[in-house]
Amino acid sequence: MSVVALSELLGASVRDASGAVQGRVREIAVAPQDHPTRIAFLIVKTANGERVLPPGAISSAGATVRTATEAANWESFTPSDGLLLLKRDLLDQQIIDIHGRKVVRVNDVELESTPVNSHLLINVVAVDVGARGAVRRLSKGLVPSFTLRALLERIPPRVIPWEFVDLLETDPARRVKLKIAYKGLAQLHPADIADIVEDLAPAERESVFETIDEEVAAEALEEIDPDIQVSIVESLDKNRAADIVEEMDPDAAADLLGDLEQKHSDEILREMQPDERHEVTQLLEFKENTAAGRMTTEFISVPETAVVDDAIDALKLFEGSREALATIYLTGVAQKLVGVVPLVKIAVSSPAIQLSELSEPFIACAKDTPQDEVAALFDKYNLITLAVVDEHGRIAGIITADDVITMLRHKD
Amino acid sequence: MSLLKSWRARLVLILAVIGPGFITANVDNDAGGIFTYSQAGAQFGYSLLWTMIPITIALVVVQEMSARMGAVTGKGLSDLIREEFGFRVTFWLMLALVITNFGNVVAEFAGVASSLELFGASKYIVVPAAAAIVWALVVRGTYDSIEKIFLAASGFYVCYIVAGLLAHPDWKAAAFATFSPPSRVGIRNYGYLFMVIGLVGATIAPWMQFYLQASIVEKGITARQYIASRWDVILGCLFTDVVAWFIIVACAATLFASGHHDIASAADAAQALRPLVGEYAYLLFAAGLFNAALFAASILPISTAYAVCEGLGFESGLDKKFHEAPVFYWLYTLLIVFGAGVLLVPRLPLVYVAVLSQVANGVVLPLVLVFMLMLTNDRELMGEHVNSRGFNIVAWTTVVVMIVLTILMILTQR
Repeated sequence: MSVVALSELLGASVRDASGAVQGRVREIAVAPQDHPTRIAFLIVKTANGERVLPPGAISSAGATVRTATEAANWESFTPSDGLLLLKRDLLDQQIIDIHGRKVVRVNDVELESTPVNSHLLINVVAVDVGARGAVRRLSKGLVPSFTLRALLERIPPRVIPWEFVDLLETDPARRVKLKIAYKGLAQLHPADIADIVEDLAPAERESVFETIDEEVAAEALEEIDPDIQVSIVESLDKNRAADIVEEMDPDAAADLLGDLEQKHSDEILREMQPDERHEVTQLLEFKENTAAGRMTTEFISVPETAVVDDAIDALKLFEGSREALATIYLTGVAQKLVGVVPLVKIAVSSPAIQLSELSEPFIACAKDTPQDEVAALFDKYNLITLAVVDEHGRIAGIITADDVITMLRHKD
Repeated sequence: MSLLKSWRARLVLILAVIGPGFITANVDNDAGGIFTYSQAGAQFGYSLLWTMIPITIALVVVQEMSARMGAVTGKGLSDLIREEFGFRVTFWLMLALVITNFGNVVAEFAGVASSLELFGASKYIVVPAAAAIVWALVVRGTYDSIEKIFLAASGFYVCYIVAGLLAHPDWKAAAFATFSPPSRVGIRNYGYLFMVIGLVGATIAPWMQFYLQASIVEKGITARQYIASRWDVILGCLFTDVVAWFIIVACAATLFASGHHDIASAADAAQALRPLVGEYAYLLFAAGLFNAALFAASILPISTAYAVCEGLGFESGLDKKFHEAPVFYWLYTLLIVFGAGVLLVPRLPLVYVAVLSQVANGVVLPLVLVFMLMLTNDRELMGEHVNSRGFNIVAWTTVVVMIVLTILMILTQR
């Protein structure tokens, strides 16, 4: 078992059984539909055009590739969309380093060749993103390979194992054929996904949001810089955009749609489910820098006559964001806000206790309260959530502490 | 409400798009540029004005290519060169870029030193101070607030037009020289060729292509919004060259006419203007030079660090901490420290060094242009936005002409 670098193999001479040079390695192909890491074949440039040489016919691979077969028997190469070409698609390109949670550029690719009987199995094991690959490529052909190897040994490797690599592909058809689904990326924290996406080119951002799960996409989108949010959503197909926007927090969705061109946000709203559309359109009416513009309409409210058990049932049915769960709001006659119960109190009280007994004095603000005052209220009363009430004292929505932090950080 | 919103949205769109091309084109008239234009006017009078029209055409074409590449691909120029031409080519090109840009950084600090010399300040104090200010301004400040300063500072370039007008040039002779073909004697004259290459390098600097494309990407301008951007780029180029034309004319009308054929420092240029147009033009010249030098000094090193790190795959970005992007910050810091450090050499010929850096720009330009041409003609990359035939003709002609001029310059050097 030995490790060989892609840059060593590229350009290597291919010798047949008699030792005669038959051509040079031009590309190395993986067919992800057959096997995710195994090399399907080398593409060899010969005097008679490009030929295909599978590892099954290779006896050793390094600065020279040796084969037992005759060049005349090698099949000619026909390009196909379903092939991952290591030089063209991977070398020098950007990839997502799942483990390091960032976008990096590939300096070289490490392949591992394992002898099986009289031939080789070659697998992609890692990508090199450090100085070792860089020096190897820079000095290739200039420094004798023996000296070079000794030199490279001294450079600490910086490699990313292949299972932590997500490739970027902007062509949707090719993504399917190459089985590129950003699976690793989708498992990261939405905030990390957002950081990575911000580092990508627009077409690559679009490809990520076309591919990953709607819920993950929605959470990540909320964390992205507003200008980039807009360009991503505008690049997506209307249906897809609507699917993602539906999954977003209504307040974040309203902020986003408010930033889009009128025509565009109308089109997306039209594609959305009626319930979500209703919530978002209501929020869109409000000025962005007021309490109402910052609030979400997804919160838990129960009548003041309800007991702890009812509150727990309401919690179970709640589909909004986790931040909104911190407080349960009590309503009285004509839906007026009459009290609040922190989640902690529900957790430690017995099921039959009436919620009004647990109720605490509440702080609320009017819809048109400026956002600075909202932040001041959070600071003064150490709030986790704050109710926003209309002119009749009915609860219209709530603002959560994370919204306030975002608001303060993005204040211009 | 909706009307107000769409009006506001449109204004935001225009402001968002008016930036990069206009800023780049104006930063283009940096200290190195001003010295080169001044020297061209002082040494050759109106006789190099013919270069301005071909240079303007080439500038528009080249800048438009950078901007278009940025808008269509959403990637920087060094990213694209790396992805299409591999590590080795990128490495050597980046090395050439660092060396050329270093010369430009030196020229900017030379501009700071010589403009403040006019007020009697010692370069041993002002250059280190300027270097520290520039370093902190970029590292501590946010990109956006810096950009607003640049935009406001662009207004200062009007100073040169005023200075030119106050110099009472011979308008007829200037206009005639602008539209008449070049004389053949120049081809055998080293000094003449040196200055022509310098003029091209000062106007169409290689680093600007990297900077402009990066700014377009940074602004998030896409192929869809690109039409507005194209006008931003073209207007910026025209403004640059109008300013350049006025500087040459002003120096030709005063320095050349009165026999001051060699500018040894900015003081020379200013002193020569003083008796003719009074205190006011002298102040304008000093203020304009200082402003141009300081602001280009804040863009050039950081833009170089970005281009190199993106091309070679090092972490980059001012949002990263020093230990997260060490190569980026070190390269940036060293460019400033050494760029300013060179100025501390006693009796350094400031103007000559500045003009030399622009000649180096002109010599390296065809190299960068060849890569830009290959990229902008790549249909897989650019789709329907590949270069038109007219653009290719202009850009390839520029490449050939610059290579020929460089060879002639080397041959005529004695």
